[in-house]
Amino acid sequence: MSDEEKFDAIIIGAGPAGCACAYILAREGKNVLVIERGDCPGSKNVTGGRLYTYALELVEPGLYKDAALERQVVREQIMMLSEKQGITIDYYNENLEENTSIPQSFTVLRAKFDQWFADKAEEQGAMIASGIRVDDLLMENDKIVGVKAGEDEMYADIVIAADGVNSLMGQKAGLKEEWNGHEVGVGIKEIIELPQDVINNRFAVGQGEGAARMILGQTGGIQGGGFIYTNKTSVSVGMVVSPAELAKQDKSVADIYQDFKMHPAIQKLISDGTTAEYSAHLVPENGWNSVPKKLYRDGFLMVGDAAGFCINTGTIIRGIDLAIVSGVAAAKAILKESEQPGIQYMKNLEELSLVPTMKLFAGWPQITSIPRMVQKYPDMINETMDFMFKVDGKVPPKMTGALKNIMKSHVSLFELISDGWRGFRAI
Amino acid sequence: MAGIYIYSEEQPVTEQLLTAGKTLANSLNEKINVIDFSEQDSESFIKKGADHVLCLKSDHPWPESYAQIIADILKEKDPTVVLIGGTLRGKTTASIIAAKLQTGLVNNAFAIEGSGSVIETKRIMYSGIAVCTEELCHGSIVTIEPRTFDAAQDSDHQGDTENIDIQPEAKTITVGNVCPIVHQDNDIATAEKLVCVGRGLSDQNDMKLAEELAEKLHAQICCTRSVAEDYHWLTTDKYVGLSGAKVKPNLYISMGVSGQVQHVAGMRDSKVIVAVDTNENAPIFAAADYGIVGDLHEIIPLLTKELG
Amino acid sequence: MKIIVCYKWVPDEQDIKIAADLKVDMSMAKWKISEYDKNAIEEAALQAENNAAEVTCLTFGTSKAKQSLKDALSRGPEKAYWVNDAKAENTDGFVTANILAAAIKKVGIPDLIFFGEGSEDSYGQQVGPRVAALLDIPALTFVTKTAVKDDAITTTRSIGNCTEDVTASFPAVVCMLPEINKPRIPSLKQVLKASKKPVEEIKLADLGLSDAELTVKNKVKSIQGFVMNRKNKLYQDGSSAEKVKALVSDLAKEGLA
Ligand SMILES: Cc1cc2nc3c(=O)[nH]c(=O)nc-3n(C[C@H](O)[C@H](O)[C@H](O)COP(=O)(O)OP(=O)(O)OC[C@H]3O[C@@H](n4cnc5c(N)ncnc54)[C@H](O)[C@@H]3O)c2cc1C
Ligand SMILES: Cc1cc2nc3c(=O)[nH]c(=O)nc-3n(C[C@H](O)[C@H](O)[C@H](O)COP(=O)(O)OP(=O)(O)OC[C@H]3O[C@@H](n4cnc5c(N)ncnc54)[C@H](O)[C@@H]3O)c2cc1C
Repeated sequence: MSDEEKFDAIIIGAGPAGCACAYILAREGKNVLVIERGDCPGSKNVTGGRLYTYALELVEPGLYKDAALERQVVREQIMMLSEKQGITIDYYNENLEENTSIPQSFTVLRAKFDQWFADKAEEQGAMIASGIRVDDLLMENDKIVGVKAGEDEMYADIVIAADGVNSLMGQKAGLKEEWNGHEVGVGIKEIIELPQDVINNRFAVGQGEGAARMILGQTGGIQGGGFIYTNKTSVSVGMVVSPAELAKQDKSVADIYQDFKMHPAIQKLISDGTTAEYSAHLVPENGWNSVPKKLYRDGFLMVGDAAGFCINTGTIIRGIDLAIVSGVAAAKAILKESEQPGIQYMKNLEELSLVPTMKLFAGWPQITSIPRMVQKYPDMINETMDFMFKVDGKVPPKMTGALKNIMKSHVSLFELISDGWRGFRAI
Repeated sequence: MAGIYIYSEEQPVTEQLLTAGKTLANSLNEKINVIDFSEQDSESFIKKGADHVLCLKSDHPWPESYAQIIADILKEKDPTVVLIGGTLRGKTTASIIAAKLQTGLVNNAFAIEGSGSVIETKRIMYSGIAVCTEELCHGSIVTIEPRTFDAAQDSDHQGDTENIDIQPEAKTITVGNVCPIVHQDNDIATAEKLVCVGRGLSDQNDMKLAEELAEKLHAQICCTRSVAEDYHWLTTDKYVGLSGAKVKPNLYISMGVSGQVQHVAGMRDSKVIVAVDTNENAPIFAAADYGIVGDLHEIIPLLTKELG
Repeated sequence: MKIIVCYKWVPDEQDIKIAADLKVDMSMAKWKISEYDKNAIEEAALQAENNAAEVTCLTFGTSKAKQSLKDALSRGPEKAYWVNDAKAENTDGFVTANILAAAIKKVGIPDLIFFGEGSEDSYGQQVGPRVAALLDIPALTFVTKTAVKDDAITTTRSIGNCTEDVTASFPAVVCMLPEINKPRIPSLKQVLKASKKPVEEIKLADLGLSDAELTVKNKVKSIQGFVMNRKNKLYQDGSSAEKVKALVSDLAKEGLA
């Protein structure tokens, strides 16, 4: 084994987790190799579209200013759809960090963001090998000592699996099992191009400002939800639904998504746009419950989606930030040069608040896992709206009675209280 | 001096270029000169509109080796524009001449138009997604692919012929073993009707479906590059597209062809295009006049039958 | 034996969009080495492997083409020359050939110069033979097979209605057809080795070309989306048999059935 073929660290996957880890290691002088199967970083990656800035700040303060970001999110919106109606709660907040004025979050396009991040890591001295798939791990005396790609073997002191939700490497290392249907969501995502001013008008945002909209209802009664993020000259539209429930239905995700898109309230937002990209991807959805029992072994660490670090609260999805945070945690553990980087890594995850945050969200997104949440409540709220705004020349029904009737026709009081309690408990 | 100069190593192509040349000559008010190798052709060229034929007499067998001589002649004549037959040999010859003369070259123009003293050409870019319109510099060379224009009509046009003895040199080259490509059937480039097969065929047995349909229609069979280069079900001279054959039959029926730009670039001059494909979003439907979204295994036999 | 293989860095046409006003939008396009040129690089790499050829690659591109160097080098060449100039944004076969020929003269005319049959974006199909003419050496175009023996290369050309074997003594330009080989997918080690291979940047000013030699000849007036004028009739109603019937009746109206 020649020196040439041995690295301090090999990182598998140039997603946000891998790039963050590579960036820091390379900056601190480590000899790092990142292997990415896509022709270029980001080419195969799917995400909704929002990045929380704090994570990039952990990599390098101020780094976000230079990042390939789309729009700063200033409108948080929740939309509830019934068959033909929709109500949107719109919360405007420039969301600047109190002391530093750093915006809380930005929309992103992965093809651009990942490429940018990988370039940055490369600038720091990391070597990025794209278009190459890692097929296996090399093992010696129960220690992981390198990777195998095609016929080629490459060695390193430590191998970091940043290979995303399906983490083949985690499985090869014996740390991770294949996902169960109830642990993941199936994500569908489309990028629809629209002129910048059309987006500004439709979402009532100014130049450089964006909206993030989560959508409940119209997922075919299946638990899950939709989203729309505004990019510079496109919107990212999609949904995440439960495959376990999907299996019980005869509709495909693609069909449900089509119906969702055709909803008049959604259609208005995206009409006349052209589809630039359409893709599907899994999302870890089970919170802490599905994080592998062990995230490391001798010579090996798991970060990002590979480690199951993703949170879906029903109103926000967080995966990119946690991927970056875990990449930072791994890099810092390796830099400590301790005997057991794995243990140090877990410590760092704890200190960077990632583990405690994950633990808070154990189980499928609590809100959307209540069946009523994806059908009955949106219907009910829309019917209430209908009642409040309807003028058809007839004698209107009495307020209290009417509202009670609407509610009764959808959910029982008991369900309402218990759902409120569950939602409360989940957070 | 000025003038329009036309050259192709293939006589039928020269006759097609004369069609374009005559229109240009009218609008630019210029004379048409043809460069050729055989005295026998010159009369026919004159009848088809040439004012002057330069007959280069030599027995060198490799057309590409004439590039230097043609360049020398053109240098002296200082033409307004040079049209060269866009065969593969022609494009190579044209490139060499253009470099020798340090002039512009538009390869594969599908349209050329003159008005006043301005000449504009159109050619495709980005595999056929786009069209590039260029205004030619004085003396630019343009190649035009065979069959872009019909051969010029005979008339009682008058002109003269000049014989030039030449000595082409191609010292460093030896040409051996020239094999004409034997087209298994007819040449697809001139076929009246074509049935095109793509990767949608499940296996080579499915070729039967295409053959039966082709037989009914008296059509030739062609394919996409994938079928020729990856599957080898047909030879490479049978694939249509940007890097394959350009076809323009009256009827073009595709089955299991997705219609990627590189393929469509070779068939979109067909008069009527019919597509059968399972994927309703396949780009072939945007390029087709008539389309059926369906499995070729079901649709094609029905079609063969219905054609009675 | 020394080989220089030339390639162009082009936008992937899959990502090129045509706007409603027919403008060509390349903002979403990923860039890559022109597919046809990958065949040329592969053929050179095979010569390196089988005939111990010393292969270098050469590209004329903007600063963005820097991204291509690693990919090119991972496909076999031992060194890359890159003529880096913004002029590459707006060039034609005339200017490109002048620049490449001058660069080749500067680094030394090799035994063989390889090209693809045309670039994937503009498909001008002229740079290879133009360079040959400028260097006053033979151009073997549309090549589907190469064989090197002593100081000569024998190629099989596939030129429409025939194939022919042409032998040229060195130096010569050879332009490949795509069917000549299947470009490799670089392996991990090839990619890693590529990052250590030397890259030499050549400044346009060092090539000693005149303004006239660097000024495009024909003026591009517009580049616009191609408009497909078709009936686009889809048979949607009824059984398959009914759809086929409707199609045949339409074809009959066109006099085609
Ligand atoms: C529809 C959808 C919407 C989402 N919305 C949001 C959102 O708005 N905000 C948010 O923060 N998160 C969101 N997420 C989650 C977020 O996208 C992920 O959590 C995040 O991308 C994880 O980053 P990662 O680096 O761990 O993995 P990935 O981004 O998946 O990167 C893994 C990389 O590894 C590469 N790779 C895999 N296997 C191999 C191999 N064997 N060899 C070489 N390379 C390999 C892959 O090509 C890929 O580049 C969403 C996810 C989906 C699917
Ligand atoms: C530089 C370059 C130059 C190229 N030049 C050319 C060229 O000159 N000519 C050329 O053809 N290609 C060319 N290509 C390749 C081209 O891009 C496409 O890959 C190729 O044309 C696709 O061939 P296809 O339609 O047979 O296969 P595919 O794209 O795989 O399409 C198969 C189609 O069959 C359909 N299908 C599957 N099953 C069935 C069924 N049972 N019934 C009906 N339909 C079915 C599918 O829906 C699909 O639309 C070039 C590519 C490059 C990069």
